[in-house]
Amino acid sequence: MPETDLMPEPSLTVPEALTGSGKPLSVTRLRKTYSGVTAVDEVSMEIAAGEFVTFLGSSGSGKTTTLMMIAGFCEPDSGSVVVGGRDVTRLAPQKRGLGFVFQQYLLFPHMTVWENVAFPLQLRGVPKAELRRRVGETLEMAGLSSMTRRRPRELSGGQQQRVALCRALVYRPPVILMDEPLGALDKKLRDQLQTEIKRIQQELGLTVIYVTHDQEEALVLSDRIAVMRDGRIDQFDTPQELFERPRTPFVADFLGAANFLPGHVEEQTAEHTLVRLDSGGLLTARPQAAQDGTRVRAAVQPGRLALCPPGDGFCTGTVETVTYVGTLVRATVRPVGGAHSELVRLELPAGRAPALGERVGLSAEPGNVSVFPDAENGG
Amino acid sequence: MTGLPSTLAGRITLVVCSTLILLFLVLPIVVIVVTSFGKDAFGSFPPSSWTLGWYKVLFADGSKWPAALSLSALVASLTTVFSLVLGVTAATALVRSNLPLRSAVYGLVLAPLVIPQVVLALGLFLLFEPASMLGSPIAIALGHTVLASPIAVMILMATLQGIDERLEDAAASMGAGRLTVARRITFPLAMPGLVAAGIFSFITSFDEFFISQFLSSVDTVTLPVQVFNVLQYDVDPSVTAVSAILIAVAVVALALVAAVRRLSGSGKQDGLLPTEPGVGLTAGSETAT
Amino acid sequence: MAVLAPVSGSAAPVPRKKRRSRVSLSDRRTRFGLFNAAPVVIYLLVLFIYPIFSTLLLSLKGENGGLTLHWYTDAFQGANLEILLTTLRISAETSLLSLVIGFVLAAAVSRLKPLWAGLVMVVVVVPHFISALVRTYGWIILLGEHGVINNALTGLHIPGAPFQLLYNETGVVIGTTSVMLPYTVLLLYAVMKGIDRRLMAAAASMGAGRVTIFRRVYLPLVAPGLVNAGILCFILCLGYYLTPALMGGEKQTMVASLIDEQVMKQDQWNGAAALGIILLLFTFAGLLLLRMLKSAGEAYRNRGTAS
Repeated sequence: MPETDLMPEPSLTVPEALTGSGKPLSVTRLRKTYSGVTAVDEVSMEIAAGEFVTFLGSSGSGKTTTLMMIAGFCEPDSGSVVVGGRDVTRLAPQKRGLGFVFQQYLLFPHMTVWENVAFPLQLRGVPKAELRRRVGETLEMAGLSSMTRRRPRELSGGQQQRVALCRALVYRPPVILMDEPLGALDKKLRDQLQTEIKRIQQELGLTVIYVTHDQEEALVLSDRIAVMRDGRIDQFDTPQELFERPRTPFVADFLGAANFLPGHVEEQTAEHTLVRLDSGGLLTARPQAAQDGTRVRAAVQPGRLALCPPGDGFCTGTVETVTYVGTLVRATVRPVGGAHSELVRLELPAGRAPALGERVGLSAEPGNVSVFPDAENGG
Repeated sequence: MTGLPSTLAGRITLVVCSTLILLFLVLPIVVIVVTSFGKDAFGSFPPSSWTLGWYKVLFADGSKWPAALSLSALVASLTTVFSLVLGVTAATALVRSNLPLRSAVYGLVLAPLVIPQVVLALGLFLLFEPASMLGSPIAIALGHTVLASPIAVMILMATLQGIDERLEDAAASMGAGRLTVARRITFPLAMPGLVAAGIFSFITSFDEFFISQFLSSVDTVTLPVQVFNVLQYDVDPSVTAVSAILIAVAVVALALVAAVRRLSGSGKQDGLLPTEPGVGLTAGSETAT
Repeated sequence: MAVLAPVSGSAAPVPRKKRRSRVSLSDRRTRFGLFNAAPVVIYLLVLFIYPIFSTLLLSLKGENGGLTLHWYTDAFQGANLEILLTTLRISAETSLLSLVIGFVLAAAVSRLKPLWAGLVMVVVVVPHFISALVRTYGWIILLGEHGVINNALTGLHIPGAPFQLLYNETGVVIGTTSVMLPYTVLLLYAVMKGIDRRLMAAAASMGAGRVTIFRRVYLPLVAPGLVNAGILCFILCLGYYLTPALMGGEKQTMVASLIDEQVMKQDQWNGAAALGIILLLFTFAGLLLLRMLKSAGEAYRNRGTAS
């Protein structure tokens, strides 16, 4: 991650952000209720300089409300927001010095592309020559140099969002907040802009908080992801950690659409937990503090399952469906035996596709299997 | 009036009827414009010969028209200023805030449009007569503002509703304070609405008769009051020319509104004129709801 | 209202300066609204509500200063009563005529292509913004004994021409209708544009004839608009002064003219005030009727969906 040396600018409003020990952003025990309903419940987090953090959750999870409280568009009932060591909890948005990219672009329709991007610099009284240089550089970096004189309505959605991005980063705010910025774009454009956002973020060492409900987008972009549910953060970790060591069934399901296999703990050791599945097989999982005999659900991502000869592995069954998705194959296997046998989903490289009706065994690395007490019904 | 193919006879009847109705609306206006250029002022129509004489007479020495015209212009300008101030603040309150008793305030603002003007004129007369303000341009303008401000409020409310409030949020997120947002974002975007509100306030006042009639004094008389007096008591053929000027002012004003709309590219172009003309009407129905 | 929760040590140190009393965002918006609503509210209280209120007081004030209803009994007697009835009659005639003509034009416009509809609406709306005084004067020129209309009628050898079209009720109703017409056209057009034309086609597919479709489908759909436009038109006519004063004769004096005369010529302010309040009450009654009909209509429709 590039360090913060790109960020200092004498004309910035929040120089403290870059000095001292203050993190660019920390949020402490933010709470917000709307007419009795808790939208955000005791959310706390710290974000390091140059980090790309995503709030991931479905609608109503509180991710946007949290973002709005950080930006200042919405006032927390309690808790605090500290930017660069300065408590901004009760400050108006314009006094926080942050950057914001909206889903609806919100370019000023009466200004050209150039004027839109120059606007925040004009507010800061940046001298003309420097303003021209910075606006020019920023637009060039986003590949917009040829359309500086156009009005927003003459641009495509993708171009508009690029302008909005330029407008938010041209004044080098210590943190840029993005609220589902690609939500209104089609899939192809979204992929393209994801790459671009990531590139610019890394080039400039920007600190970004990004809100989305799209797991894939979160995985592609983020250094760390906060998975949110019902106003709380379920888990705040790197994508890899979330994927491999989900702390709740919800995280396991939301990120990887995990298979949940019911069973009970048969044996506990320091290295692993043995789970006796209801379908009869024995599954080796990561160690989990649980008493022998506890009802549990073992979670494993479809992509972390492998085929093995029938009889080996933790489960044997017949292949019910096979679907090609590009270079991947999605298959479902109906386990044999056990009281109630739910379908197990798996993802394999196209070359290893099983045949329909084939009897196969399934296996998984112990490190890829998480175990959750059954009471926690997150899925 | 059905989604069915209509018969030829039905279509012809409808076209003929509509044309007659449109003539019914337009004819009294056309006849004035044409007559004002005719030699024989009250005579036959169309006139036998043409002249600009009536217009020249208006501005001849000793004519009472220039004074009336300038009084009307002054009153209308004052009214425009008053009702823009009231309109901007009231529309902001009604559209961009949590206003307690919002619907009561809204009802109050629109009420002058449905109250009989005689009652309003009489009430204002009772207010200004004891203060010996009859004939004062300020008093007349204050009275006209009661009629003009609801129109301004409605136009500006529609304008504000048409401006995405989050654009203001976006500017704030970049560090723009309330004043800067108003100056750099809201004001330029609301410009067409402000122009329209101003123009409609102006012509509302410029054409207003009844309140002016009650609040005028013998030697300060607005243009419509003067026209009325001439029509009722004197016979002054140049009144036709004055009427034509009043028509021209209204038409130019409406054209201006349409042009500003067109230029700024705002407003949905489903008609040549924006929705404002309907403003006074919807007002009536909304207070009634 | 919002109290900051104690901050735990893990977070960055929060400067615990004394802050100004915290006003929550929604309170701020309320205060902003009150601040901005104040000018118009104060203005209308002083220059709209208070004048009407003082008119009311004046209408109740006896010659000796006590309370009296004698100005109201006066208003319902003799010549005054006649004028009141004339006002109601002319208003009704005008509203009816505006409604019929407005209906035909609005129905025609609602079938036109958007461009043409826009053009026609401009022709309807522009006159609305031209001084009613001027338009009335136009009618005086048109309807005179040797005016355009009578000349044309004589030219066509219509028996009885030239007609007496000015300074009688015909003239007043023609003039006032032309002033009110834009209102009815705009109100009806708005309603008609909202009607789904496919409903008529659907009715036809079930075998309904044109007359039946009009009577059973179209008219009921337009009815609320007709009621709305009719009542509003009537209300606006009640206090109308200009056209009746200029185009009417002795027998077409309306209340507004009477008020004008009492104030300007007879210095009879109390009587004028009472007449004004009566007009106001008629207006309120009209608005109330409108609201009642509306909620009755809604209740009727809701009953249909609820059962």
